Amino acid sequence: MRDAPVARGKDLSERALGTLLLLPAGLLLAVIVVYPIATLFWGSLHSVDNANPAAGDQFVGFENYLRAFEDDRFWHSLAQTVVYVVVTVPGALVIGLGLALLANRPFRVKWPVRLGLLLPWALPLVFAGLIFRWFFEYQTGVVNDWLGRLGIAPLNWLSDPTLATIAICIAIMWKASSFMALMLLAGLQTIPKSLYEAAEVDGATAWQQFVEITLPMLRPAIFVALTFRTITAIQTFDIPYAMTGGGPGDATETLAMYIHKTTLDFLDFGYGSALAALMFVFSMVATSGYLKYTRRNAGRNGG
Amino acid sequence: MNFDRRSVVWLSAIVVAVNGFFPAVWILLTSLKTETELIRSPITYLPDAPTVGNYVTAFTAQPILRFMWNSLVVAGLSTALCVLVGALAAYALTRLRMPYRNLIMSALLAVAMFPLISLMVPLFKAMRELGLLNTYLALILPYAVLSLPVCTLVMAAFFQDIPPDLEAAAMVDGCSRVGALFRVVMPLSAPGVFTAAILAFVNAWDEFLLALTMMNRVNMRTLSVGITLYQGEFAFPWPLISAALIIAIVPICILIAVFQERVVGGLTSGGVKG
Repeated sequence: MRDAPVARGKDLSERALGTLLLLPAGLLLAVIVVYPIATLFWGSLHSVDNANPAAGDQFVGFENYLRAFEDDRFWHSLAQTVVYVVVTVPGALVIGLGLALLANRPFRVKWPVRLGLLLPWALPLVFAGLIFRWFFEYQTGVVNDWLGRLGIAPLNWLSDPTLATIAICIAIMWKASSFMALMLLAGLQTIPKSLYEAAEVDGATAWQQFVEITLPMLRPAIFVALTFRTITAIQTFDIPYAMTGGGPGDATETLAMYIHKTTLDFLDFGYGSALAALMFVFSMVATSGYLKYTRRNAGRNGG
Repeated sequence: MNFDRRSVVWLSAIVVAVNGFFPAVWILLTSLKTETELIRSPITYLPDAPTVGNYVTAFTAQPILRFMWNSLVVAGLSTALCVLVGALAAYALTRLRMPYRNLIMSALLAVAMFPLISLMVPLFKAMRELGLLNTYLALILPYAVLSLPVCTLVMAAFFQDIPPDLEAAAMVDGCSRVGALFRVVMPLSAPGVFTAAILAFVNAWDEFLLALTMMNRVNMRTLSVGITLYQGEFAFPWPLISAALIIAIVPICILIAVFQERVVGGLTSGGVKG
């Protein structure tokens, strides 16, 4: 007789307790993420009237977005961001896959390889940027020293727009590839050895094994790694900030750097908010593209 | 054949290790050189006459110990907050029968993908209005939230594996549900809690954009921003910067060297399951 009410009471209290336990997380997320995003869009519709700054923020509708449309520096920083994404996402994947394949061997002493992959991950991005700036210095940098040994004249890496972009991409790929390698390595270790043994019996070459077994089995891990890399690449800030400060001129400036400058150096919150809102949309579009791809693949695997 | 295979293994290890360690080794060598040795042509690899002078200057030119303390406070407290709040959420999502469980999990993942720069503008305005700029709180709260999704998911994965019987036994012995979380579930998932804590700590320790934005007083700078203050207006004193960088990465190196297995496990748990 008493069982039923107790069970129901337990159910209810369980739900109440669960809600209570989720409350702090929900509250923090609301204050630090949801509220800022909401005010971001609202703020992007406002601007300070230069003729009458004392009046404070005025509602200007979509004026800030129209301004972005005609702003060459915005388009340039967007294009530069796209370059970093298009180069460093596949680049870091290929290097990371290479590192993962190298690291996926039966080492007796494991720490050199493990730390060799962990150190670049743990190093702050801005430190990596500074170190690579030092590598690419014109007179005293080690890169030009190596080029010199190959008989190539020293290059002015950081004061030429194209070379600076290349140098920044190299630094980003170095920093990002080790994290990719760690994720791919975990994926590699889940592939059953028996698959390779069977392939070997059938006389498959190492390359055939890689294409027919390794790559398909790694697909989920590659997918996760690519998603993370794309999201971070869209937000590229620290490494170009440390390596070139966006220079020469604004040549290597990313969208994130332009937003930061607009907001904190020019104190133009309305325009900065509009640019940040655009960035938010770009980022969400890229993410949802990936999510759609996963869902489609999940469906195919299931069916 | 046997020898060949061994040398391939060795070569692989060397390539991976050199790729990872070279930048750190290079700044270590640089930090031991003098400015005069630095501008010599062709450049030297090993320092001629190693000096610790740059380390002495690194401590006096900028308040680097203060930067380190700031980083420690911000990273430590945000990690504690993140793990506590994340553990409660992970418990609710794995051990209690909650409605909309999957929806909440997906929402958490979506938050992890929001671009930080979009949050930066309104957060800066809000913190300025609240008078929280140049306070630890201005970084502790955002850092705790930014690591919250990944920490919750890592801990949830571990909580899931604790047998419910253990918890039931604890409750029979007079433990409350929340008591069971702290006395049974969390200690038993110690590796998971620990992994989450390391991830949150390294994230906070490395963060740059918000630290640059929220703290503009030199005394409140964190390490990642403080390091950039060593550069002069026009010149880069590389030996000095290198010495400062070495000082700054020692704590993080110790952390990952001691807990390397846990860190790898935590970093890759998403990749394997995804």
